[in-house]
Amino acid sequence: MKNSYANPEDLRWKCHKCDMFLSVGPATLTYMGNTINAQLPVCPQCGFVLVSEELALGKIAEVEQLLEDK
Amino acid sequence: MSKTVLIRLMPETMKADSSSERRVLSQTESLCPVCLKKIPAFRVTDGLDVYLEKHCESHGPFSTVIWRKDPHFETWTRPKIPIQPPVCYTEITKGCPFDCGLCASHRQITCTALIELTKRCNLHCRYCFASSQNLDDPDPDINKIEFMFKRVREAAPSCNIQLSGGEPTLRDDLPQVIGTGRQAGFGFIQLNTNGLRLANEKDYAASLKESGLSSVFLQFDGVSDEVYKALRGQALLDKKRLAIEQCARAGIGVVLVPMIVPGINAHEIGSILELGLKEYPAVRGIHFQPVSYFGRHPESVENHNRITIPEIITALEIQSNGMVAASDFHPPGCENALCSFSGKFLVMPGGGLMPIVSETNSCCNKPVRADIGARQTIFSVAGQWSAPKVQGSAIAGQGTTNSISGMDLDGFLDFVRSRSFSISGMAFQDIWNLDLDRLRDCCIHIVSNDGRLIPFCAYNLTDIQNKPIYRGQ
Repeated sequence: MKNSYANPEDLRWKCHKCDMFLSVGPATLTYMGNTINAQLPVCPQCGFVLVSEELALGKIAEVEQLLEDK
Repeated sequence: MSKTVLIRLMPETMKADSSSERRVLSQTESLCPVCLKKIPAFRVTDGLDVYLEKHCESHGPFSTVIWRKDPHFETWTRPKIPIQPPVCYTEITKGCPFDCGLCASHRQITCTALIELTKRCNLHCRYCFASSQNLDDPDPDINKIEFMFKRVREAAPSCNIQLSGGEPTLRDDLPQVIGTGRQAGFGFIQLNTNGLRLANEKDYAASLKESGLSSVFLQFDGVSDEVYKALRGQALLDKKRLAIEQCARAGIGVVLVPMIVPGINAHEIGSILELGLKEYPAVRGIHFQPVSYFGRHPESVENHNRITIPEIITALEIQSNGMVAASDFHPPGCENALCSFSGKFLVMPGGGLMPIVSETNSCCNKPVRADIGARQTIFSVAGQWSAPKVQGSAIAGQGTTNSISGMDLDGFLDFVRSRSFSISGMAFQDIWNLDLDRLRDCCIHIVSNDGRLIPFCAYNLTDIQNKPIYRGQ
Protein backbone atom coordinates (compact mmCIF):
# COMPACT_ATOMS: atom_id res chain seq x y z
CA MET A 1 0.00 0.00 0.00
CA LYS A 2 1.35 3.43 -0.95
CA ASN A 3 2.60 5.51 1.95
CA SER A 4 2.29 2.55 4.31
CA TYR A 5 4.80 2.12 7.08
CA ALA A 6 3.30 -0.97 8.67
CA ASN A 7 5.33 -4.18 8.72
CA PRO A 8 3.44 -7.51 8.83
CA GLU A 9 4.83 -8.19 12.32
CA ASP A 10 3.41 -4.85 13.56
CA LEU A 11 -0.07 -6.22 12.93
CA ARG A 12 0.48 -9.00 15.48
CA TRP A 13 0.33 -6.34 18.22
CA LYS A 14 -2.91 -5.92 20.17
CA CYS A 15 -4.17 -2.64 21.64
CA HIS A 16 -3.90 -3.17 25.41
CA LYS A 17 -6.91 -0.99 26.15
CA CYS A 18 -9.31 -2.34 23.49
CA ASP A 19 -7.89 -5.88 23.15
CA MET A 20 -8.05 -5.61 19.37
CA PHE A 21 -5.41 -6.41 16.72
CA LEU A 22 -3.95 -3.36 15.01
CA SER A 23 -4.77 -2.75 11.35
CA VAL A 24 -3.32 -0.39 8.75
CA GLY A 25 -5.05 2.97 8.74
CA PRO A 26 -4.49 6.65 8.05
CA ALA A 27 -2.53 8.66 10.63
CA THR A 28 -1.64 12.33 10.69
CA LEU A 29 1.73 13.35 12.07
CA THR A 30 2.22 16.95 13.14
CA TYR A 31 5.57 18.63 13.67
CA MET A 32 6.22 22.34 13.95
CA GLY A 33 2.94 23.27 12.36
CA ASN A 34 3.33 20.87 9.43
CA THR A 35 1.05 17.88 8.95
CA ILE A 36 2.27 14.74 7.25
CA ASN A 37 0.07 11.82 6.21
CA ALA A 38 1.05 8.18 6.60
CA GLN A 39 -0.56 4.74 6.76
CA LEU A 40 0.40 3.22 10.11
CA PRO A 41 -0.69 0.35 12.37
CA VAL A 42 -3.63 1.71 14.37
CA CYS A 43 -6.18 0.31 16.79
CA PRO A 44 -9.42 0.15 14.76
CA GLN A 45 -11.43 1.03 17.90
CA CYS A 46 -9.56 3.83 19.75
CA GLY A 47 -7.22 4.97 16.96
CA PHE A 48 -4.04 4.54 19.04
CA VAL A 49 -1.06 4.47 16.65
CA LEU A 50 1.99 2.22 16.80
CA VAL A 51 5.21 3.82 15.54
CA SER A 52 7.84 1.16 15.10
CA GLU A 53 11.38 1.75 16.34
CA GLU A 54 12.60 1.52 12.74
CA LEU A 55 10.28 4.33 11.63
CA ALA A 56 10.85 6.49 14.71
CA LEU A 57 14.63 6.35 14.40
CA GLY A 58 14.54 6.45 10.60
CA LYS A 59 12.24 8.64 8.58
CA ILE A 60 10.54 10.43 11.47
CA ALA A 61 13.88 11.35 13.03
CA GLU A 62 15.00 12.59 9.62
CA VAL A 63 11.94 14.86 9.37
CA GLU A 64 12.85 16.35 12.74
CA GLN A 65 16.46 16.85 11.74
CA LEU A 66 15.60 18.41 8.38
CA LEU A 67 13.25 20.91 9.96
CA GLU A 68 15.60 21.95 12.73
CA ASP A 69 18.14 24.69 12.18
CA LYS A 70 21.36 25.52 13.91
CA MET B 1 51.12 55.03 18.76
CA SER B 2 49.97 58.55 19.54
CA LYS B 3 46.70 59.46 21.20
CA THR B 4 45.72 61.51 18.14
CA VAL B 5 45.74 58.42 15.96
CA LEU B 6 43.55 56.51 18.40
CA ILE B 7 40.93 59.21 18.35
CA ARG B 8 41.00 59.22 14.54
CA LEU B 9 40.44 55.48 14.56
CA MET B 10 37.57 55.53 17.01
CA PRO B 11 35.60 58.76 16.60
CA GLU B 12 32.80 57.52 18.87
CA THR B 13 35.13 57.94 21.83
CA MET B 14 34.39 61.63 21.42
CA LYS B 15 30.68 61.19 22.05
CA ALA B 16 29.37 63.01 25.11
CA ASP B 17 28.48 60.70 27.99
CA SER B 18 25.70 63.04 29.09
CA SER B 19 23.15 61.80 26.53
CA SER B 20 20.03 60.68 28.36
CA GLU B 21 19.68 57.69 26.00
CA ARG B 22 23.04 56.23 26.91
CA ARG B 23 22.78 53.26 29.24
CA VAL B 24 25.15 50.49 30.27
CA LEU B 25 23.46 47.18 29.47
CA SER B 26 26.04 44.71 30.69
CA GLN B 27 29.70 44.20 31.38
CA THR B 28 32.29 41.91 29.87
CA GLU B 29 36.05 41.95 29.36
CA SER B 30 38.20 42.86 26.39
CA LEU B 31 41.79 43.79 25.52
CA CYS B 32 43.47 47.11 24.92
CA PRO B 33 44.18 47.25 21.15
CA VAL B 34 47.58 48.80 21.84
CA CYS B 35 49.12 46.91 24.79
CA LEU B 36 46.77 43.86 24.87
CA LYS B 37 46.14 44.35 28.57
CA LYS B 38 42.89 42.74 29.73
CA ILE B 39 40.43 45.50 30.66
CA PRO B 40 36.74 45.72 31.59
CA ALA B 41 34.36 46.47 28.71
CA PHE B 42 30.77 47.61 28.70
CA ARG B 43 27.91 47.13 26.27
CA VAL B 44 26.37 50.58 26.12
CA THR B 45 23.20 51.63 24.29
CA ASP B 46 23.00 54.91 22.49
CA GLY B 47 19.46 55.07 21.14
CA LEU B 48 18.93 51.79 19.31
CA ASP B 49 22.64 51.27 18.70
CA VAL B 50 25.00 49.42 21.02
CA TYR B 51 28.71 50.05 21.51
CA LEU B 52 31.44 48.06 23.22
CA GLU B 53 33.26 50.61 25.34
CA LYS B 54 36.53 50.07 27.16
CA HIS B 55 39.24 52.20 28.68
CA CYS B 56 42.91 51.39 29.04
CA GLU B 57 44.75 53.37 31.72
CA SER B 58 47.70 53.79 29.40
CA HIS B 59 46.05 54.16 26.01
CA GLY B 60 42.69 55.77 26.63
CA PRO B 61 39.08 55.01 25.65
CA PHE B 62 37.81 52.89 22.77
CA SER B 63 34.24 52.65 21.55
CA THR B 64 33.18 50.28 18.78
CA VAL B 65 29.69 49.81 17.38
CA ILE B 66 28.46 46.22 17.81
CA TRP B 67 24.75 46.55 17.00
CA ARG B 68 22.62 48.98 15.03
CA LYS B 69 18.85 49.23 15.30
CA ASP B 70 16.45 46.28 14.80
CA PRO B 71 16.10 43.42 15.60
CA HIS B 72 16.59 44.99 19.02
CA PHE B 73 19.81 44.06 20.80
CA GLU B 74 18.08 43.09 24.04
CA THR B 75 15.72 40.67 22.28
CA TRP B 76 18.54 38.87 20.46
CA THR B 77 19.28 36.24 23.09
CA ARG B 78 19.62 32.48 23.20
CA PRO B 79 20.97 31.45 26.60
CA LYS B 80 23.02 28.31 26.98
CA ILE B 81 24.21 26.23 29.87
CA PRO B 82 28.02 26.32 29.52
CA ILE B 83 29.88 23.08 28.92
CA GLN B 84 33.57 22.54 29.54
CA PRO B 85 35.30 20.90 26.56
CA PRO B 86 35.76 17.19 27.32
CA VAL B 87 39.43 17.37 26.33
CA CYS B 88 41.45 20.49 27.20
CA TYR B 89 44.90 20.72 25.65
CA THR B 90 46.00 23.73 27.74
CA GLU B 91 46.15 24.65 31.43
CA ILE B 92 44.76 27.89 32.81
CA THR B 93 47.76 30.07 33.63
CA LYS B 94 47.50 33.58 32.20
CA GLY B 95 43.72 33.75 31.89
CA CYS B 96 41.42 34.22 28.88
CA PRO B 97 42.30 34.84 26.03
CA PHE B 98 45.94 33.87 26.58
CA ASP B 99 45.54 30.14 27.38
CA CYS B 100 43.61 29.01 24.30
CA GLY B 101 43.95 25.45 23.35
CA LEU B 102 41.11 24.96 24.59
CA CYS B 103 41.31 25.52 28.35
CA ALA B 104 38.91 24.45 31.08
CA SER B 105 37.28 27.88 31.31
CA HIS B 106 36.01 27.59 27.73
CA ARG B 107 32.22 27.18 27.59
CA GLN B 108 31.50 25.26 24.38
CA ILE B 109 32.69 22.18 22.52
CA THR B 110 34.09 22.23 18.97
CA CYS B 111 31.47 22.32 16.25
CA THR B 112 33.86 23.07 13.38
CA ALA B 113 37.62 22.60 13.35
CA LEU B 114 39.60 24.57 10.78
CA ILE B 115 42.86 23.30 9.41
CA GLU B 116 44.95 25.82 7.49
CA LEU B 117 46.73 23.96 4.71
CA THR B 118 48.91 26.77 3.41
CA LYS B 119 49.77 30.42 3.92
CA ARG B 120 50.08 30.91 0.16
CA CYS B 121 47.39 32.53 -1.94
CA ASN B 122 46.88 33.36 -5.62
CA LEU B 123 45.00 36.57 -4.79
CA HIS B 124 46.16 39.53 -2.74
CA CYS B 125 42.92 40.81 -1.25
CA ARG B 126 42.66 44.19 0.45
CA TYR B 127 41.03 42.36 3.34
CA CYS B 128 42.42 39.02 4.52
CA PHE B 129 42.24 37.73 8.07
CA ALA B 130 45.13 35.36 7.37
CA SER B 131 47.27 38.10 5.73
CA SER B 132 47.99 35.55 3.00
CA GLN B 133 50.17 36.31 0.01
CA ASN B 134 52.03 34.49 -2.67
CA LEU B 135 55.24 33.74 -0.79
CA ASP B 136 57.17 30.51 -0.70
CA ASP B 137 56.36 29.70 2.92
CA PRO B 138 56.44 25.92 3.29
CA ASP B 139 53.08 24.18 3.70
CA PRO B 140 52.53 21.72 6.54
CA ASP B 141 53.33 18.28 5.16
CA ILE B 142 50.83 15.42 5.09
CA ASN B 143 52.23 13.95 8.34
CA LYS B 144 51.61 17.24 10.12
CA ILE B 145 48.08 17.38 8.72
CA GLU B 146 47.46 13.81 9.80
CA PHE B 147 48.60 14.84 13.29
CA MET B 148 46.17 17.78 13.25
CA PHE B 149 43.25 15.54 12.25
CA LYS B 150 44.24 13.15 15.05
CA ARG B 151 44.27 15.93 17.63
CA VAL B 152 40.83 17.11 16.50
CA ARG B 153 39.53 13.55 16.54
CA GLU B 154 40.71 13.06 20.14
CA ALA B 155 39.10 16.27 21.36
CA ALA B 156 36.00 16.53 19.17
CA PRO B 157 35.36 13.27 17.34
CA SER B 158 32.10 14.23 15.67
CA CYS B 159 32.83 17.80 14.58
CA ASN B 160 32.78 19.18 11.06
CA ILE B 161 36.03 20.09 9.29
CA GLN B 162 36.86 23.12 7.21
CA LEU B 163 40.06 23.15 5.15
CA SER B 164 41.29 26.68 4.84
CA GLY B 165 44.39 28.78 4.24
CA GLY B 166 45.75 30.82 2.43
CA GLU B 167 44.20 29.27 -0.62
CA PRO B 168 44.10 25.52 0.01
CA THR B 169 43.66 24.61 -3.67
CA LEU B 170 47.26 25.72 -4.29
CA ARG B 171 48.27 22.40 -2.76
CA ASP B 172 48.34 19.70 -5.40
CA ASP B 173 47.86 17.05 -2.73
CA LEU B 174 44.50 18.49 -1.63
CA PRO B 175 42.59 15.33 -2.67
CA GLN B 176 44.99 13.31 -0.50
CA VAL B 177 44.42 15.71 2.42
CA ILE B 178 40.65 15.32 2.07
CA GLY B 179 41.05 11.54 1.91
CA THR B 180 43.18 11.65 5.08
CA GLY B 181 40.41 13.55 6.85
CA ARG B 182 37.79 11.05 5.75
CA GLN B 183 39.99 8.16 6.87
CA ALA B 184 40.36 9.88 10.24
CA GLY B 185 36.59 9.53 10.55
CA PHE B 186 35.25 12.97 9.72
CA GLY B 187 31.95 12.83 7.84
CA PHE B 188 31.71 16.44 6.67
CA ILE B 189 34.69 18.15 5.10
CA GLN B 190 34.31 21.60 3.61
CA LEU B 191 36.77 23.57 1.49
CA ASN B 192 37.15 27.32 2.06
CA THR B 193 38.27 28.68 -1.31
CA ASN B 194 38.29 31.63 -3.70
CA GLY B 195 37.12 29.17 -6.39
CA LEU B 196 39.74 30.01 -9.02
CA ARG B 197 41.12 26.50 -9.44
CA LEU B 198 37.62 25.03 -9.41
CA ALA B 199 36.77 27.37 -12.28
CA ASN B 200 39.99 26.93 -14.22
CA GLU B 201 40.41 23.14 -14.17
CA LYS B 202 37.61 21.15 -15.70
CA ASP B 203 37.92 17.94 -13.69
CA TYR B 204 39.22 19.43 -10.45
CA ALA B 205 35.87 19.55 -8.62
CA ALA B 206 35.20 15.92 -9.55
CA SER B 207 38.57 14.86 -8.12
CA LEU B 208 37.80 16.61 -4.81
CA LYS B 209 34.37 15.01 -4.70
CA GLU B 210 35.90 11.61 -5.32
CA SER B 211 38.27 12.19 -2.39
CA GLY B 212 35.33 12.82 -0.09
CA LEU B 213 34.73 16.59 -0.17
CA SER B 214 31.21 17.50 0.98
CA SER B 215 30.96 21.23 0.47
CA VAL B 216 32.65 24.35 -0.86
CA PHE B 217 32.64 27.57 1.18
CA LEU B 218 33.04 29.92 -1.77
CA GLN B 219 34.31 33.47 -1.35
CA PHE B 220 31.53 35.33 -3.20
CA ASP B 221 31.33 39.02 -2.42
CA GLY B 222 28.88 40.32 -4.97
CA VAL B 223 27.23 40.16 -8.34
CA SER B 224 29.30 42.83 -10.07
CA ASP B 225 32.96 42.97 -11.01
CA GLU B 226 33.29 46.39 -9.37
CA VAL B 227 32.92 44.65 -6.00
CA TYR B 228 35.61 42.07 -6.80
CA LYS B 229 37.97 44.74 -8.10
CA ALA B 230 37.49 46.73 -4.90
CA LEU B 231 37.89 43.83 -2.47
CA ARG B 232 39.98 41.27 -4.35
CA GLY B 233 41.89 43.37 -6.85
CA GLN B 234 40.44 41.90 -10.04
CA ALA B 235 37.22 41.05 -11.89
CA LEU B 236 36.17 37.59 -10.71
CA LEU B 237 32.42 37.20 -11.19
CA ASP B 238 32.69 34.91 -14.23
CA LYS B 239 35.19 32.70 -12.39
CA LYS B 240 32.90 32.48 -9.37
CA ARG B 241 29.95 31.42 -11.51
CA LEU B 242 32.06 28.86 -13.30
CA ALA B 243 33.23 27.48 -9.95
CA ILE B 244 29.58 27.04 -8.91
CA GLU B 245 28.85 25.28 -12.19
CA GLN B 246 31.77 22.89 -11.75
CA CYS B 247 30.70 22.05 -8.20
CA ALA B 248 27.13 21.47 -9.35
CA ARG B 249 28.37 19.06 -12.00
CA ALA B 250 30.52 17.22 -9.46
CA GLY B 251 27.77 17.02 -6.82
CA ILE B 252 29.44 19.26 -4.24
CA GLY B 253 27.23 21.62 -2.22
CA VAL B 254 28.19 25.30 -2.47
CA VAL B 255 27.79 27.98 0.19
CA LEU B 256 28.25 31.56 -1.05
CA VAL B 257 30.29 33.56 1.45
CA PRO B 258 30.13 37.32 0.97
CA MET B 259 32.27 39.55 3.15
CA ILE B 260 30.19 42.69 3.51
CA VAL B 261 31.93 46.07 3.64
CA PRO B 262 29.88 49.28 3.94
CA GLY B 263 30.20 51.43 0.84
CA ILE B 264 31.49 48.55 -1.27
CA ASN B 265 28.96 45.73 -1.45
CA ALA B 266 26.30 46.21 1.26
CA HIS B 267 23.91 47.31 -1.52
CA GLU B 268 24.30 43.91 -3.23
CA ILE B 269 23.02 41.77 -0.33
CA GLY B 270 19.63 41.24 -2.02
CA SER B 271 21.22 40.55 -5.41
CA ILE B 272 23.53 37.94 -3.87
CA LEU B 273 20.47 36.21 -2.44
CA GLU B 274 18.76 36.39 -5.83
CA LEU B 275 21.78 34.87 -7.56
CA GLY B 276 22.10 32.17 -4.91
CA LEU B 277 18.49 31.16 -5.48
CA LYS B 278 19.01 31.10 -9.25
CA GLU B 279 21.91 28.70 -8.72
CA TYR B 280 19.97 26.53 -6.27
CA PRO B 281 20.14 23.55 -5.67
CA ALA B 282 23.91 23.70 -6.38
CA VAL B 283 24.03 26.64 -3.98
CA ARG B 284 22.85 25.35 -0.62
CA GLY B 285 22.96 28.62 1.26
CA ILE B 286 24.55 32.00 1.77
CA HIS B 287 26.74 32.86 4.75
CA PHE B 288 27.39 36.57 5.21
CA GLN B 289 30.48 37.83 7.03
CA PRO B 290 30.42 41.48 8.12
CA VAL B 291 33.92 42.91 7.66
CA SER B 292 36.31 42.53 10.60
CA TYR B 293 39.51 44.39 11.17
CA PHE B 294 42.16 41.75 11.75
CA GLY B 295 45.00 40.56 9.56
CA ARG B 296 45.36 42.64 6.40
CA HIS B 297 42.86 45.44 5.96
CA PRO B 298 42.78 49.09 4.87
CA GLU B 299 44.01 51.47 7.56
CA SER B 300 40.78 53.21 8.45
CA VAL B 301 39.05 51.27 11.25
CA GLU B 302 36.16 53.61 11.92
CA ASN B 303 32.67 52.76 13.07
CA HIS B 304 31.12 53.91 9.80
CA ASN B 305 33.18 51.20 8.11
CA ARG B 306 31.43 48.51 10.12
CA ILE B 307 28.16 46.71 9.42
CA THR B 308 26.40 44.76 12.18
CA ILE B 309 24.21 41.64 12.24
CA PRO B 310 20.86 43.51 12.46
CA GLU B 311 21.85 45.67 9.50
CA ILE B 312 22.51 42.59 7.35
CA ILE B 313 19.17 41.10 8.43
CA THR B 314 17.33 44.35 7.66
CA ALA B 315 19.08 44.64 4.30
CA LEU B 316 17.99 41.10 3.46
CA GLU B 317 14.35 42.04 4.06
CA ILE B 318 14.50 45.36 2.22
CA GLN B 319 16.68 44.33 -0.70
CA SER B 320 14.73 41.10 -1.30
CA ASN B 321 11.51 43.16 -1.42
CA GLY B 322 10.17 41.19 1.52
CA MET B 323 10.85 37.70 0.13
CA VAL B 324 12.52 37.09 3.49
CA ALA B 325 11.53 38.91 6.66
CA ALA B 326 13.76 40.00 9.53
CA SER B 327 11.60 37.82 11.77
CA ASP B 328 12.66 34.72 9.80
CA PHE B 329 16.10 34.90 11.41
CA HIS B 330 17.15 33.78 14.86
CA PRO B 331 20.21 33.72 17.11
CA PRO B 332 22.34 30.55 17.05
CA GLY B 333 21.94 27.51 19.28
CA CYS B 334 25.68 26.80 19.27
CA GLU B 335 27.85 29.93 19.52
CA ASN B 336 27.12 33.11 21.48
CA ALA B 337 23.91 34.82 20.33
CA LEU B 338 25.83 37.98 19.40
CA CYS B 339 28.06 36.06 16.98
CA SER B 340 25.61 35.06 14.30
CA PHE B 341 22.17 34.81 12.76
CA SER B 342 20.50 32.04 10.84
CA GLY B 343 17.36 31.22 8.93
CA LYS B 344 16.32 28.08 7.10
CA PHE B 345 13.91 28.17 4.19
CA LEU B 346 12.24 26.02 1.60
CA VAL B 347 12.50 27.11 -2.03
CA MET B 348 8.87 26.76 -3.04
CA PRO B 349 7.86 25.51 -6.50
CA GLY B 350 5.40 28.39 -6.80
CA GLY B 351 8.22 30.88 -6.21
CA GLY B 352 9.59 32.49 -3.11
CA LEU B 353 11.00 31.18 0.13
CA MET B 354 9.11 29.71 3.04
CA PRO B 355 10.78 29.93 6.49
CA ILE B 356 10.71 26.58 8.22
CA VAL B 357 11.94 27.17 11.72
CA SER B 358 10.90 30.61 12.85
CA GLU B 359 8.19 29.10 15.05
CA THR B 360 10.51 27.13 17.34
CA ASN B 361 13.12 29.81 17.49
CA SER B 362 10.72 32.38 18.84
CA CYS B 363 10.77 30.49 22.12
CA CYS B 364 14.53 30.23 22.62
CA ASN B 365 14.92 31.87 25.96
CA LYS B 366 14.96 28.69 27.96
CA PRO B 367 18.62 27.82 28.51
CA VAL B 368 19.76 24.71 26.65
CA ARG B 369 23.01 22.85 27.25
CA ALA B 370 25.65 24.31 24.97
CA ASP B 371 26.79 20.93 23.66
CA ILE B 372 23.23 20.01 22.65
CA GLY B 373 23.13 23.14 20.48
CA ALA B 374 26.57 22.31 19.10
CA ARG B 375 25.57 18.77 18.14
CA GLN B 376 22.41 20.04 16.46
CA THR B 377 24.50 22.56 14.52
CA ILE B 378 27.04 19.94 13.47
CA PHE B 379 24.27 17.81 12.02
CA SER B 380 22.27 20.68 10.56
CA VAL B 381 25.26 22.30 8.83
CA ALA B 382 26.53 19.02 7.42
CA GLY B 383 23.12 18.21 5.95
CA GLN B 384 22.34 21.67 4.68
CA TRP B 385 25.68 22.59 3.16
CA SER B 386 26.27 19.28 1.34
CA ALA B 387 24.70 18.55 -2.05
CA PRO B 388 21.09 17.45 -1.61
CA LYS B 389 20.39 13.74 -1.82
CA VAL B 390 17.84 14.44 -4.56
CA GLN B 391 19.11 16.65 -7.38
CA GLY B 392 18.26 18.29 -10.68
CA SER B 393 15.12 17.07 -12.36
CA ALA B 394 14.41 14.83 -9.38
CA ILE B 395 13.64 17.84 -7.16
CA ALA B 396 10.40 17.08 -5.41
CA GLY B 397 7.21 19.08 -5.66
CA GLN B 398 7.21 20.61 -9.14
CA GLY B 399 4.39 22.91 -10.15
CA THR B 400 2.90 25.66 -8.09
CA THR B 401 2.68 24.08 -4.64
CA ASN B 402 3.15 26.63 -1.91
CA SER B 403 2.39 24.49 1.11
CA ILE B 404 4.18 21.54 2.64
CA SER B 405 1.34 20.41 4.85
CA GLY B 406 -0.64 17.32 3.98
CA MET B 407 2.05 15.52 1.97
CA ASP B 408 2.76 11.88 2.52
CA LEU B 409 5.86 11.03 4.56
CA ASP B 410 8.14 10.06 1.66
CA GLY B 411 7.01 13.01 -0.43
CA PHE B 412 7.59 15.35 2.49
CA LEU B 413 11.09 14.00 3.05
CA ASP B 414 12.04 14.34 -0.62
CA PHE B 415 10.60 17.84 -0.70
CA VAL B 416 12.51 19.12 2.33
CA ARG B 417 15.73 17.27 1.44
CA SER B 418 15.86 18.81 -1.99
CA ARG B 419 14.43 22.27 -1.36
CA SER B 420 16.01 23.59 1.84
CA PHE B 421 18.13 26.73 1.63
CA SER B 422 19.96 28.50 4.45
CA ILE B 423 20.72 32.16 4.94
CA SER B 424 23.09 32.89 7.78
CA GLY B 425 25.91 35.12 8.85
CA MET B 426 28.67 35.38 11.40
CA ALA B 427 30.22 38.50 12.89
CA PHE B 428 33.84 37.88 13.79
CA GLN B 429 35.59 39.80 16.52
CA ASP B 430 38.67 41.93 16.12
CA ILE B 431 40.81 43.70 18.70
CA TRP B 432 38.37 46.64 18.80
CA ASN B 433 35.13 44.77 19.48
CA LEU B 434 36.58 41.70 21.23
CA ASP B 435 34.16 40.48 23.92
CA LEU B 436 35.61 37.68 26.04
CA ASP B 437 32.11 36.38 26.90
CA ARG B 438 31.63 35.71 23.20
CA LEU B 439 35.10 34.24 22.84
CA ARG B 440 34.52 31.71 25.65
CA ASP B 441 31.35 30.57 23.87
CA CYS B 442 33.13 30.03 20.54
CA CYS B 443 32.58 26.71 18.71
CA ILE B 444 34.76 27.31 15.63
CA HIS B 445 38.32 26.41 16.41
CA ILE B 446 41.50 26.61 14.37
CA VAL B 447 44.07 23.84 14.82
CA SER B 448 47.46 25.36 15.62
CA ASN B 449 50.71 23.85 14.37
CA ASP B 450 51.26 22.26 17.77
CA GLY B 451 47.79 20.69 17.73
CA ARG B 452 45.84 22.99 20.02
CA LEU B 453 42.27 24.12 19.26
CA ILE B 454 42.11 27.90 19.30
CA PRO B 455 38.87 29.89 18.95
CA PHE B 456 38.72 31.44 15.47
CA CYS B 457 38.66 35.05 16.63
CA ALA B 458 41.48 34.53 19.13
CA TYR B 459 43.63 32.85 16.47
CA ASN B 460 43.10 35.70 14.02
CA LEU B 461 43.30 38.51 16.56
CA THR B 462 45.88 41.15 15.74
CA ASP B 463 46.80 44.23 17.77
CA ILE B 464 46.81 47.80 16.48
CA GLN B 465 50.12 47.14 14.76
CA ASN B 466 48.78 43.96 13.15
CA LYS B 467 50.80 41.69 15.40
CA PRO B 468 49.00 38.37 16.08
CA ILE B 469 48.60 36.73 19.47
CA TYR B 470 48.29 33.17 18.18
CA ARG B 471 48.62 32.98 14.38
CA GLY B 472 51.82 31.19 13.43
CA GLN B 473 52.07 29.15 16.63
